[in-house]
Amino acid sequence: MSRAVMTARGTLVLVGVLVSLAGYLWVAEVGRRTPLRASAPVEPAPLLAVPPAAVARVEVEEGTVHLVAIRRGGGWSDAEGRPWPRDAVADLLESLGTIRPVMTVDPDPTDPADYGFGPDAVRIRLLAPDGRPLLALDVGERNPAWTGLYARRTGSREVMLVGALLHWELEKLQAKAPEP
Amino acid sequence: MSGRSLGALTLATTLLLAAPPGRAADPEPSKAAPKGESWTLDSSNWQDGKDVLPESVVKRLQAGDYWFNVVSVDATRFHHNYSQAFWDATDKNAGKYDLDAKTCGLKDKATGKIPDFVFGLPFPTIDKSDAQAGCKIAWNFTMAGAMGGGGGATFTLNGVDTSGQFRRIKAFIHSRGFQGRHFGPLAEDNPEHLAGEGLSGAIEPQDVEGVSQLTKRYWDWESQDAIWAYVPSTRRARRVNAASRSDPVAGLDIFADDLNCYAGKVEYYQWKLIGEQEILAPLLQPYPFPMRSVSPTRQLIDTPYMPAGYEVPNRRGVPWWIQDHLVFVKRPVWVVEGQSSDPYYNFGKVIMYFDKEMYRIYWKLVHNRGGEYFYTAMCGYHFVKNDETFSAVFPNLVVGVNDKTNRAALGGRFQSSFLEQHWDPSYFSLRTITHMTD
Repeated sequence: MSRAVMTARGTLVLVGVLVSLAGYLWVAEVGRRTPLRASAPVEPAPLLAVPPAAVARVEVEEGTVHLVAIRRGGGWSDAEGRPWPRDAVADLLESLGTIRPVMTVDPDPTDPADYGFGPDAVRIRLLAPDGRPLLALDVGERNPAWTGLYARRTGSREVMLVGALLHWELEKLQAKAPEP
Repeated sequence: MSGRSLGALTLATTLLLAAPPGRAADPEPSKAAPKGESWTLDSSNWQDGKDVLPESVVKRLQAGDYWFNVVSVDATRFHHNYSQAFWDATDKNAGKYDLDAKTCGLKDKATGKIPDFVFGLPFPTIDKSDAQAGCKIAWNFTMAGAMGGGGGATFTLNGVDTSGQFRRIKAFIHSRGFQGRHFGPLAEDNPEHLAGEGLSGAIEPQDVEGVSQLTKRYWDWESQDAIWAYVPSTRRARRVNAASRSDPVAGLDIFADDLNCYAGKVEYYQWKLIGEQEILAPLLQPYPFPMRSVSPTRQLIDTPYMPAGYEVPNRRGVPWWIQDHLVFVKRPVWVVEGQSSDPYYNFGKVIMYFDKEMYRIYWKLVHNRGGEYFYTAMCGYHFVKNDETFSAVFPNLVVGVNDKTNRAALGGRFQSSFLEQHWDPSYFSLRTITHMTD
């Protein structure tokens, strides 16, 4: 029967191996770690990225219907100078300033008409006092659950989903348009 | 079930139910609805519903998910679902009240302060061009709901998806209102200066038994509701935020703020009148149920159960759609937007349909704070009245439908409820909720 004997030299060798492994771990693993930092969730920008007060002209086009609101004094009037009812335009702008894209549905659709971007799409244009475009948005169909609408920035192919509140605000605007 | 979500149901009822002080009228036989025109609105004639239902509901009507038993009512008789005492007080309120511009709180014109006691609609006439019309409509809604004074019911919450029920909770709710009640202010002291208080608790299933909540609503313009939730396993009652009314109740597609379709203080929302139209109003029956006295201070009201599709064979529509004892009456409504500025409140813009005469909310559409529509609640009622000295309106049904998940929850559908005029003064207390399971 043999007896295992640990010699001083063997102990030193094992200690050396242990130190080497610990050193490797420190250099190769722990040292590479970047310190943990709390990061704020990235929230997409709202559709209208400027304050509603910066908008001087609103154009909404749907088929043959073409609505225009021009800021004059403290209120809004249409192209012929007829006043818009209180809050009708302001509500749309306020909502555009809070609605953010929920998700990108399709970065490059084969047929944009699938999302309602055909001739019947609603087109929204918001302009600054100097005529600079602040928002140009095409609004297509509602999604199957009706929780949102397909939209894309004019000139872009990327299809976004935005909240259906926009549909409600557009309906309100059309219902309150000045009588011709 | 979280205590706070269940308990948040309590307060709204507080302001709804009433107790006729010591003068319970003898019951009369229930008057059946007069035989008028009645017809069924379903997928075969859905076009007839597109102007009298919210869009999200028309979509389901067209798909065959929903159908409606529509009945016509006598407008004068329907008006008298509320007592003559209530309408007389409403007439007397003309010109008496105003609103605090900052908070939308109710203000007595004579004193410039919150009134001591209000009964009847505070704003009998609504001017559409008034920038504060939305807030005035909300106050009329609050005071119409408060005419009952106090009472309670045992009810169920049922989570239902397209395959049937997946969860059932049985709970009770008790309440006492200090404002808006028939017969004037309560004789009891109101040292906390409350508009109302309520208590609720879960009864079944066993794992939630004893979860309870106490709510107190202060009669002022600024204070948040004080809400305490008690969970038996921790044996602690803790204070919860009033914004929890927008949290799902027990993980179901229903919210404490669905009771009456709005259960918060008027001052919590910014209100805006958007328009007017007609809508189909869900009612257990068009005219009042009688009540019967069981003690000098308590009256009982028996009402039929409203079975849903998942409970009956050969159902029509989706499993959560009510199959019987529910009628729809075409009513004129104000369309009003409400929005909370509380960052902890989960709802964004809420669109509500208020009866222009009876001031009940029949439907509400809810967007989240990102502007996504996700939820429709249908709120059904029944009226209670024996004579012209007293009446009450009870919320007896909420059908909450999450269109994002295609699931629903049913709340209410109780078969018995009561009005109580004299609660034990110590009942609405932390002691009660912490000793409920002793």
